[in-house]
Amino acid sequence: MTPVEGSTLTTVAAVMVAYLAALLLIGWRAARRTHGGEDFHLAGRSLGAWSAGISSTASSESGWVTLGAVGMTFTYGVSGLWYAPGCLLGYLVNVYLVAPRLRPLSASQGSVTLTDVITRRWGDPRNVLRLTATTIILICMMGYVAAQMTAAGKAFSSSLGLEGRGGYILGVVIGAAVIILVTSLGGFRAVAWTDLFQGLLVAIALIGLPLYAIARLGGFGVLVQGLGAVNPDFLSAGGGRLGPALWGFIIGQLGIGLGYPGMPHVITRYMAARDDREVQRLQIIAMFWGVAVFYGAGLVGLVGRVSLPNLADGEQALMALALQLVHPVLAGLLLAAVISAILSTVSSQLLVAASAVSYDVVEETLGKASDDRRSLILGRWTVAVVGLIGILVALTEVRLVFWFVLFAWSGLGAAFAPLILLALAQRGVNRHGALAAMLTGTGVTVAWKLGRDATANPELFARVWWITLIAAAVILGLGRLARAFERGDRVGVVAATILTVISWWLVQQWGLHNLYELVPAFFLAGFAALAVSAITKPSNV
Amino acid sequence: MEEYSLTVGAHLLLWAFPLTLVILVVVEDILDRRDREPER
Repeated sequence: MTPVEGSTLTTVAAVMVAYLAALLLIGWRAARRTHGGEDFHLAGRSLGAWSAGISSTASSESGWVTLGAVGMTFTYGVSGLWYAPGCLLGYLVNVYLVAPRLRPLSASQGSVTLTDVITRRWGDPRNVLRLTATTIILICMMGYVAAQMTAAGKAFSSSLGLEGRGGYILGVVIGAAVIILVTSLGGFRAVAWTDLFQGLLVAIALIGLPLYAIARLGGFGVLVQGLGAVNPDFLSAGGGRLGPALWGFIIGQLGIGLGYPGMPHVITRYMAARDDREVQRLQIIAMFWGVAVFYGAGLVGLVGRVSLPNLADGEQALMALALQLVHPVLAGLLLAAVISAILSTVSSQLLVAASAVSYDVVEETLGKASDDRRSLILGRWTVAVVGLIGILVALTEVRLVFWFVLFAWSGLGAAFAPLILLALAQRGVNRHGALAAMLTGTGVTVAWKLGRDATANPELFARVWWITLIAAAVILGLGRLARAFERGDRVGVVAATILTVISWWLVQQWGLHNLYELVPAFFLAGFAALAVSAITKPSNV
Repeated sequence: MEEYSLTVGAHLLLWAFPLTLVILVVVEDILDRRDREPER
């Protein structure tokens, strides 16, 4: 990457400060309209189509879209684009199937969180479903929040010219402090509004930059010739892969989309939409945003590969192109877009993690149902505390963070996506089946992921099925101690254990290493829900 | 000098899929609006 001049760095830093000030201003405006618990956790169910639509999509993509997706096409050429149909199919399911059914269901239930939707849909007399769902969400979300704070810290320190370990720490603290302040003051409304602002910034950057860069290169024909000269496989949809490797890659990339209906920070946006009309309007907005952003990111990677032959890390292509091609003020805005993609996800996930603690655990499980005002104060303090824990983890346990993040998307997707789809289908599942689905989705995700990487450390990973059995025994033991489990819950835990061990055996025996773990975990979780519900049918529906 | 071109699969992945998707989404939106008109 070409060294950046001091004056450019100063201009970029000034734009970055203005961007952070804009976030704080939006947060302050939202805070003035936030008066109670439902306001804080769900914006009083008052979001319009633009804020609900863009917020749902922007919060789901994180820094992955401006860094990882760009890196995919930089590394693999056109075949690196397979993530785009995968994600867009996920968007289709979310906005045309989930959103129109989830909004009226959650409004009629009075549910505020994803956990609330599940527990109220099937009943949860002993809080088994609520505690299981909350535990899975908290583990995945805290890993996610800390990882995004780490990414934000790196992006801030490089764009503000902060150097070394001290610069990284300052970068993490600046980004996290702004987000914690905005989220704790304005709650869901502030998160949705800042997502709208940041989502539009990301879309403009990912439409404008590749078009300008291709024009500067000499047109699309020159881009194709350049890619072919680097590697002729860059111009095919398979990228030179053959047989099982090709199909495993394509199914895995398409499988990313299976996770979308299970993301708490995404589907709560549909629950917060004002009415059915706003849901219908958000469909086209979300789909256009998705097409623009995914294909824009892909084009940035492709053009980066030709324009920046010496760039070592393809994930830096957007930032490198911005600094090389455009005026420093525009480069600052483009770098703000990179950080926007990260921060819009941090704020959404921070709020979900905080709602899991303050609403699902303290208010609902412990029965400390306070008045609306106290619920708001509790929510605000929880965001601050969870955010501070996120900062500490991001600064001290980076390796642990990335270990959790490996499982976060597929874990959440497999635990909740089949369940939400079955909840909206209105038949065939009871609360024991719901418990089995969450445990199976999480268990199979972990087993498959470790199974895929077994070659890295076979002695450790070969013991996964022992870990599964011990985990199942602990869950059963705790449930018995707390007298929380009914017979059907025990059936659910045993079914999840068997399916997890079977999936471990499958990945080992059949060598399905190329298949993304979310695909088997999603379908086995759905199967577990239906099978356990059929076995335990007389107990309840 | 060798001349390179995108394969059929690459054309489908790069252009045909997103274009078809956008057309379908727009058509769905238009039909949706037309359905809503009589309700007013």
